[in-house]
Amino acid sequence: MSNWPSGHPEEGLLLRALDGELPARKARQVRKHLEACWQCRAEMESLEATVAECVRYRKQVLAGLLPEAPNAWQPLDRGFDRVDAELAATPLWKRLPRLAPAWQWGVAAAAAAALLIAAVVQLGRTPSVQAASLLEKAVAAASARPATVRTIGIHMRSGLATLHTVGGAAGNWLPLPPDIQMAFQAAHYDVADPLSARAFQAWRDSLPKKTDDVETEPAAASPHELCYQIRTQAAEGELASATLLLRVADLAPVESKFEFRDQNWIEFTQVMEPPFQPDGSPVAPTQEAPLRPVVPSRPAAVAPRLSASISDELQVVSLLHRIGADLGDPVEVNLTDGKVLVSGAGVSPERQRQVHELLDGDPNVEVRFSQPETAQITLPGEAPATSGDTANVGIQTRLEKQLGGRAAFERFSTHVLDGNEAAMSHAYALRSVAERFPAGSEASMAAPDRAQLHQLARDHVAALETEVRVMESALAPVLAGLGARATAAGAIEAAPGADAAWQKAAEDTFRSSRRLEVLLSVLLGVTPGENASGDLPSQVLAAVADLKAGLGRCQHLLEQ
Amino acid sequence: MAAFYMSEELVGILRQEGAASELQTQVAQLFEESREDVFRYLMTLGLTPARAQDATQEVFLRLYAALKSGEKIENPRGWIFRVAHNWGLKVRARHAAENPFDADLEAKLAAPARDAEQDLLERERMLSFHRAVEALSDQQKRCLFLRMEGLRYPEIAAAMGISPSAVSEFLRRAMARLKKVRDE
Repeated sequence: MSNWPSGHPEEGLLLRALDGELPARKARQVRKHLEACWQCRAEMESLEATVAECVRYRKQVLAGLLPEAPNAWQPLDRGFDRVDAELAATPLWKRLPRLAPAWQWGVAAAAAAALLIAAVVQLGRTPSVQAASLLEKAVAAASARPATVRTIGIHMRSGLATLHTVGGAAGNWLPLPPDIQMAFQAAHYDVADPLSARAFQAWRDSLPKKTDDVETEPAAASPHELCYQIRTQAAEGELASATLLLRVADLAPVESKFEFRDQNWIEFTQVMEPPFQPDGSPVAPTQEAPLRPVVPSRPAAVAPRLSASISDELQVVSLLHRIGADLGDPVEVNLTDGKVLVSGAGVSPERQRQVHELLDGDPNVEVRFSQPETAQITLPGEAPATSGDTANVGIQTRLEKQLGGRAAFERFSTHVLDGNEAAMSHAYALRSVAERFPAGSEASMAAPDRAQLHQLARDHVAALETEVRVMESALAPVLAGLGARATAAGAIEAAPGADAAWQKAAEDTFRSSRRLEVLLSVLLGVTPGENASGDLPSQVLAAVADLKAGLGRCQHLLEQ
Repeated sequence: MAAFYMSEELVGILRQEGAASELQTQVAQLFEESREDVFRYLMTLGLTPARAQDATQEVFLRLYAALKSGEKIENPRGWIFRVAHNWGLKVRARHAAENPFDADLEAKLAAPARDAEQDLLERERMLSFHRAVEALSDQQKRCLFLRMEGLRYPEIAAAMGISPSAVSEFLRRAMARLKKVRDE
């Protein structure tokens, strides 16, 4: 359902059409398609019925059953008086921009001294003054702090979410897609460290017209910590708005978000907890290789030739990784006939456009997408009855009881399965990289290419590790309540030898991820399955421990 | 004389001062029409009824202050929900969600209806729909509740501090789950 216009519009597009959120031309296209396509019309009607159900829910449940206001609603009159009094106390200078120029200059000259006093009094009250003051303090606080290694999470519109270790005395760059880099540069925003008060301040100061908004918000990554949120909107320029969250306690930047005029956006989040090895010790600070231009594995003096090497293939895979096209999209990369062929069937038009933009123009790369010839519709058959169902239903009942009800179980299940889905996308991507560049091929690579390959694999390992930790923090207390026994990590394999290859560890990690996925599916009742030993909770925890141990081995080998 | 020339803006200010009561009437009318919606939305964020009621009053007074200060607000309802959202999250952060909004809803839904004519099937359907709503992620729920209040995607995006495309994606996921429950 994603290859519209030749196939069917995807569900999100139908919903936006239903909500009147599509541009007129696209809305017309959807309308025309619906006239011709029974399948999509039925889909749309089902969506409309769900909207109607939401309306009923709002009326019957939210409006009908939520508690009423505990006190009778009072008229706002008293509040109006309070606001009027506060506004009356607002200094004259705040109203100056609304006065005619003659008045402005006259009053301004007469009240210059008063304005100065008023401005000092207002310091910390108006958003723009507050923003400037906070940024100044944050920059000073940052320069007083020693340079440390930070783990930064990046989230982009494309859906790509990655973790990177940056900073330290050397100071590294975050790897960003070329379009985002160019947008930052066009906006004169220092792309070297987009999560810093200094870069934000420099950009803000350069704006001729801007509006600021300062709020106090909890940090998304760590809701117990309060932050100052500074949001600056630019009247013009490539960057429409930027938001920076500074932790109240030490004014350290913890989140930043950038929205560009073309609707593109990117978020950076400081990962609060330092990464740990499976044995609990902190991971040694790792320096990420700075973003570098493409360096082929061949002598630079050789004239360009139309014959792709494994180095070109690696560059293509890395570029696809930057836009998230290696996480679930059916995009294939093959080195054949002296070219890197990027292909795929049923890839969404948006993704196709991104890939073309990224790779067109490279003489060694050919991008060739196709649409599936016919839509393959598979009707689900009846699920075979399994002898294990009854036992697992028992486990789900115990889980429900442990969690406090069906609703809580469903919430828990959704949370864990979402985490597993994200983890599996990285597990598949890591295995794919390992299979594409086996140890033998890696040995023939130039050093910079090897470093790039390791970085690519490390990205997936780090993202997978984050997802596993999130799942573990949800699973461990609940499963312990069901009597699960914790398993020591890394019991299956001995520590890797000096000659071990990370590719083998990546394959093992993939197998561990699959095992965890199957066990979770059975535990949460998504798929029927046998549970002969009757100790499914312990098995799940053991699978988590194995996966973490495998990730630790991968990480260790990739650091070498 | 130039010194006594009054610009349109100054006239506007004076008119605004003079028309304070008119502005108050407009805000009071909006308060009358929308306070229950805002109050309910604040409770879905996890505020207790008492805090939600206080916060609702505060949101409308902020609207009055903003309008009186000359701020141009094209869509007061969208503005109100944006401020309510931010204010509600702040209050909730301070008081650590003392009373989740849905604590008693399930029991109320499951209880026999006082109205004898209420259809048992309808109640059961709403109960499973409510459970599905509860199972949505926080972001999906907030987008859905704001959409239920009639906000458009850019308004929801502004309220939540995310992009409109992210709103679209959260709503798509939410609706896909709810549709599945409805079709079951």
